[in-house]
Amino acid sequence: MTGKMALPNHYFAGRLGSKFIIALRDENKILGVKCEKCDKVFVPPREYCERCMSKLDECWVELSNEGVITNYTVVNYNDKHLPRRAPYILALIKVDGADTPFPHIVEGIDAEDVKTGMKVKAVFAEETTNTIRDLDHFEPV
Amino acid sequence: MAEYFGTAVEDIFNTMEERFLSEGTLDVDVTIGYNISGEGGGNWKVTIKEGTLKVEDADGEVTDCTAVLNANAETFVGVTLGKLDAGEAFSSGNIKVDGDLTVLVAILPKAFKPFKPVIKASAIVESVEERFLPEKAEGVDIKIGYDLSGDGGGQWTVVVKDQTCTLKEVLDDDCTVIMRMEAQVFVDLNQGKLDGGTAFSSGQVKVDGDIGVAGQSASLFEKYVAEGAAEEEGEELISLKCVPSINQRYATGPTMGKWFDGLKEKKFFASKCPQCGRTLVPPREICAQCRVRCNEFVEVGPDATVTLIDVVYYASPDPLTGKIRETPYTALFMVLDGVSRDESFAHDLNPKDIDRIKPGMKVRPVWAEKRMGTYRDLLYFEIAD
Repeated sequence: MTGKMALPNHYFAGRLGSKFIIALRDENKILGVKCEKCDKVFVPPREYCERCMSKLDECWVELSNEGVITNYTVVNYNDKHLPRRAPYILALIKVDGADTPFPHIVEGIDAEDVKTGMKVKAVFAEETTNTIRDLDHFEPV
Repeated sequence: MAEYFGTAVEDIFNTMEERFLSEGTLDVDVTIGYNISGEGGGNWKVTIKEGTLKVEDADGEVTDCTAVLNANAETFVGVTLGKLDAGEAFSSGNIKVDGDLTVLVAILPKAFKPFKPVIKASAIVESVEERFLPEKAEGVDIKIGYDLSGDGGGQWTVVVKDQTCTLKEVLDDDCTVIMRMEAQVFVDLNQGKLDGGTAFSSGQVKVDGDIGVAGQSASLFEKYVAEGAAEEEGEELISLKCVPSINQRYATGPTMGKWFDGLKEKKFFASKCPQCGRTLVPPREICAQCRVRCNEFVEVGPDATVTLIDVVYYASPDPLTGKIRETPYTALFMVLDGVSRDESFAHDLNPKDIDRIKPGMKVRPVWAEKRMGTYRDLLYFEIAD
């Protein structure tokens, strides 16, 4: 028996998530939040510091659009919800100024040539979708 | 107390401590006198020195300060709130400054956060008649009692009937619901700063009477906006509606396959254990009690005897379509004719039979017109009379 299981979903980015995406979309900037107590910058932003529970919703910092790859993988299968056709590189990127990496696509380089620590820069989407894909991908500097 | 633009003069001075920005005044050493004339006015002396603030009530006119501001109450409040233009107030003579004007212009903005008008519970309740939305109150006949304690509190009854709203300044005995809380809690709930569920479960709000009415009543009134409140820029909030779908393929195998093939032909097949003789519905490869293979199939039913019925009122979504199920619906436990006594089988009951169904009754299956060998072939059971 075959079938499709539909999962109707209404996702709310939230106040902080919305501000993060809007900065990507309208200003082509990557924003994070900083916990002054722990001296840590979180990207994407979160409302509370995970270590000391300080409220971070007003501690925005602007980060660089460049960073380094801390780790990566190659996605080798296709499915409707995936952002690219296989094979494509999915990497963890720590932008300059941030203490946390976040995952994103890396283009413009063959998988065999990717090295952790290599410098990459953000490329923003021409057509925006009000999602993190308003940052389209990273490419080697 | 005299209010201008929804605010009293003394509110501005009473909130100076909490609005004070010490870091902006580390190199400052000044005194500012305020002589405010008119109803609600008064005299104050404010000392700002190296990051510290002192606000004193003065008896009579204040004179000996770095700068002294003289104004009438309405102008003072209006300019402070940004409702009246400061430049015009000066040139028209409604505000006069003796001494060093630059003190006021350069230092005050660094020294204090802007004044935001305080919303009083009484102002919110007393405006219910103006904020009432008659079109939302069709068929509504309720009395909501408010018992608010503390500054700005009081006791009121809001009567909503025949699409009109009347406010009474007493707490009636026959209210549909009475809500009791501190006045500030009421203001925070009303302005969306406190969530109703939290307030109730933390004991900050006590409800006597029909709590459902309490929740409903909010939709009968326009939101209260304080006079003089600055319009806050709406935040853009992003949300995403999507329906991801997961492809599913269920390979039944020969045993369950037999069950579904049977459904296509309006038949029920059970496995029979060669050892204990139990019939298993739906059929299984192995008897769980004897741990032996069951290779024999027997036809059972199609009618059944009800053993247990569960009526569900919780509206859960259908996982395949996302549509919310009609409630109530049932889990009907029954023993198909010919099946061993303990082998209940669960399915749905025709909703029209929910009121009549009792354990022990006989039920029969209702089949889909077009059957394809899936679980949708069997629609539900209904009372066999």
